[in-house]
Amino acid sequence: MAKDVLVYIELKDRSVRKVSYEAIEAGKRLRKFFSSKLHVAIIGFQVEILAEYVKGHADYVHVVDEEYLTDFTIDNYAEILHMLVEKTSSSFVIGSHAGYGRFILPKLSGMLDWAILADVTGFELENGRLLFKKPLFGGRVLSYVEVKEGNKVVTTLRPNSFSVSEPSLSGEVIREKIETKKDKKIRFLRAERKEEKKVDLQEADFIICGGRGMKAPENFKILEEIADIMGGRVGASRSVVDANWREYEEQIGKSGKTVSPVLYIGCGVSGAIHHTMGIDTSKTIVAINSDPNAPIFNIADYGIVDDIFAILPVLKEELKKAKEEV
Amino acid sequence: MKILVFVKQVLDSEAKINIQDDKKSLDFEERFSLNFFDEFAIEEAIRVKEKVKNCEVVAVSLGSRKAQEVLRTSIAMGVDRAVLIETEKYNIWDPYFTAKVLSGFAEKEGFNLIFCGERAMDDENGVVGVLIAENLKIPYVGSVVKIEVMDTNKVVVDSEIDGSFFGYEVELPALFSLRKGINEPRVPAITGVMKAMRAQIAFVDPYSLLSIPLTQKTEIVRFEFPGKRPAVKIIEGQSPEEKVKKLISLLKQEAKVI
Repeated sequence: MAKDVLVYIELKDRSVRKVSYEAIEAGKRLRKFFSSKLHVAIIGFQVEILAEYVKGHADYVHVVDEEYLTDFTIDNYAEILHMLVEKTSSSFVIGSHAGYGRFILPKLSGMLDWAILADVTGFELENGRLLFKKPLFGGRVLSYVEVKEGNKVVTTLRPNSFSVSEPSLSGEVIREKIETKKDKKIRFLRAERKEEKKVDLQEADFIICGGRGMKAPENFKILEEIADIMGGRVGASRSVVDANWREYEEQIGKSGKTVSPVLYIGCGVSGAIHHTMGIDTSKTIVAINSDPNAPIFNIADYGIVDDIFAILPVLKEELKKAKEEV
Repeated sequence: MKILVFVKQVLDSEAKINIQDDKKSLDFEERFSLNFFDEFAIEEAIRVKEKVKNCEVVAVSLGSRKAQEVLRTSIAMGVDRAVLIETEKYNIWDPYFTAKVLSGFAEKEGFNLIFCGERAMDDENGVVGVLIAENLKIPYVGSVVKIEVMDTNKVVVDSEIDGSFFGYEVELPALFSLRKGINEPRVPAITGVMKAMRAQIAFVDPYSLLSIPLTQKTEIVRFEFPGKRPAVKIIEGQSPEEKVKKLISLLKQEAKVI
């Protein structure tokens, strides 16, 4: 039996999030492995146009574009995906472990009574077996997990785990009319949506993170400027968030977010294990700290031992130049 | 009103981990702690209890005998009683299965509210809460930052996803997973610690909680340690300018990341 794959497309401000292209990439690999079809689901209001962006990556694009979806509930999305799984007879559902997918997909797995594997960072094919790679204990151990014979699976992917390839398919766009149940025990009251054009912290290719060594909240301004130059985001260590210098949303580490950017720069971050567990899958780690014994240097690729306030203005100018050259 | 709080004992971040020769099992240095996010769930349950009449809070953990420690911490903080779903002779790790066992417990025990931490710090799944809600066919809201209990039938909650806030009115019984920042978990008072030392913790077998025979849906084929990162290159130079220029050129030419 063909094992079709359904990918849930995570949106942000009515655009397709980068992590969704990564989920599609994972879906494409499974499609090839099982010689099956790849379905993607775009769900929201006024989102039909987005099918254009993903149809080159799928066999079928299912669009559910309904006004009632303006009021976000996990239940509505999970219910719609449930119907699409049944309609497409898919055996795999893939989505993001960031944003909304982290809530919607586990719920879907419960509705379907399928296996769930969350926060997966890769697949490996070994002698015809499909293994899911999943870091445990803050990345200190990797586990390779197999779904037992006869089970279907919902999986969520850690952002920045799959590289994205060029479009190679020409998917058929199908407009679905789906009404969800009305007898909800959860009543939507209000939303306060954060509208910002910046990339999400977990999806950012560039992160500049400030720790206690930044000395005061106003000193993060230069980190913001550097992040803007690089099209990335500012992160914060736990102590900085606990001191209310930065929002919890920006916290990186065990009790905050796990990130995997291409380039991470830690400024005045000591590098306690709680923090480094949240960055150790980053491609390149740079540490700037005046203390040569700071533990962050044990995990960093490059280090500068100096006063961060002497380094940062120069770093900002040099990164700006480097960006302009490209 | 009865509130269940599901708590987990997790390995301390700094405990040593070894992979055994069969590659399928781990041993640990015996250093454990209460899952960070669960402290918020315990605290919130106690706060509800302090406001509502006739409220009982029960802490429940699925884990080895050692996990009694986190249940005693829960009692010290103020929960009324604790139950250990004892897994000493089983190796249970699959979130699907874990959720089935915990749902079975909730069904037998009865409840109006269930609180969980947002995720466990060891497997970082963050899925067991929503799966329990789904198994029990009760409403669920995740990443909750505020809970207001209106009466025994209704609560109003706020949840936060990526900086956006959503408010819901939810019919009870319901399950919520709580985010850091919803409250400031208390430090147990000495009287609480004394009470916790004397408290009886009930033991339950996980399989006795399943209404139909079930098995885990996933299995760990092997463990590996991640590749070690190469040693750090400390960039030397006479001035900040020189160091930064060297860094930029390494990032361009060697690491190829800018």
